[in-house]
Amino acid sequence: MLRQRLVAALAPRRVAHAHCDVPCGVYDPAPAQIAARTVSRMVELLNGITGMELEDRNKMVRCTAVKEQHAELVKREVQVIWSDYFKPEHLEKYPELHDLSWRVLKQASKCKQSVDAEAAAELERLVGRFAEIFWASKGAPAHLMTPSAEGAPKNVISWEVRAS
Amino acid sequence: MGRIGASSTPVAPPRSFASGVRVGLVLGGLALAAAPGIRRAGRSWRNRVAVEGGSMSPAVLDGEWLLVDPDAFRDRGPREGELVLVADPGRPDRLLVKRVAAIAADGLLDLRGDAPEASTDSRDFGPVPPSQVLGRPWARYWPPRRIGRVR
Repeated sequence: MLRQRLVAALAPRRVAHAHCDVPCGVYDPAPAQIAARTVSRMVELLNGITGMELEDRNKMVRCTAVKEQHAELVKREVQVIWSDYFKPEHLEKYPELHDLSWRVLKQASKCKQSVDAEAAAELERLVGRFAEIFWASKGAPAHLMTPSAEGAPKNVISWEVRAS
Repeated sequence: MGRIGASSTPVAPPRSFASGVRVGLVLGGLALAAAPGIRRAGRSWRNRVAVEGGSMSPAVLDGEWLLVDPDAFRDRGPREGELVLVADPGRPDRLLVKRVAAIAADGLLDLRGDAPEASTDSRDFGPVPPSQVLGRPWARYWPPRRIGRVR
């Protein structure tokens, strides 16, 4: 009681922020990883289309459209984290950051142009590495940083189940 | 206290006038010397702040309570390396604690956190005019084991 009152009397009335801005706390590479995974999946579905029936063509157009959108999403998400979250101190610690970001953006474009499983896998790999650096910069535990064996980030598995 | 009536037997021998003056001078001098410090403590106490966030680590940690002298920069500007309390340029109702990393030729202050990886500072909101500075955090009074000056 007395202690509480004492603390209340001593406590400051105002807060001084020695902070990192609010958005800093909500950056997350997961959407980019999910988008890259989606691109991979769309390439897989597109490669599975054999016929030229109306249904097939419909599916082809839909998958292509989703592939295009999600490749764009990868670019957008990675670019925002790259330009807004990362600071010069991170670059010093992870010198590959600029080149890696650049390669992610390029690879996403390549995935738009092609229906190439290799290209899509490479996009996932690059985004995975980008996410690794992101989590490492936050000092996150290793299990958050490493994508699972298939190259898909672990936190995407539930999404994959829903989508298939 | 019933001392006035009971003082028929003096405890100390009577002082000479000169020694009395000397004691008075010393006490007065002490009071004069201490007065600015006491006044500063008083106005700083009215401007105490709780620090939130770790961008000033290790100099100032999340949750620590600081005394801020609002008059520290009345007669002089902030110097490089000093802590300052400023109004957040993005949200003037909010206070920030940062360090003056550099002072530009035009007098604008380049503010940084001590932990640059986790700090929103001049790199984000640009240099800050000295008029935005509200005071100098100079002492920490909580937690008890970290009581003392901050720099």
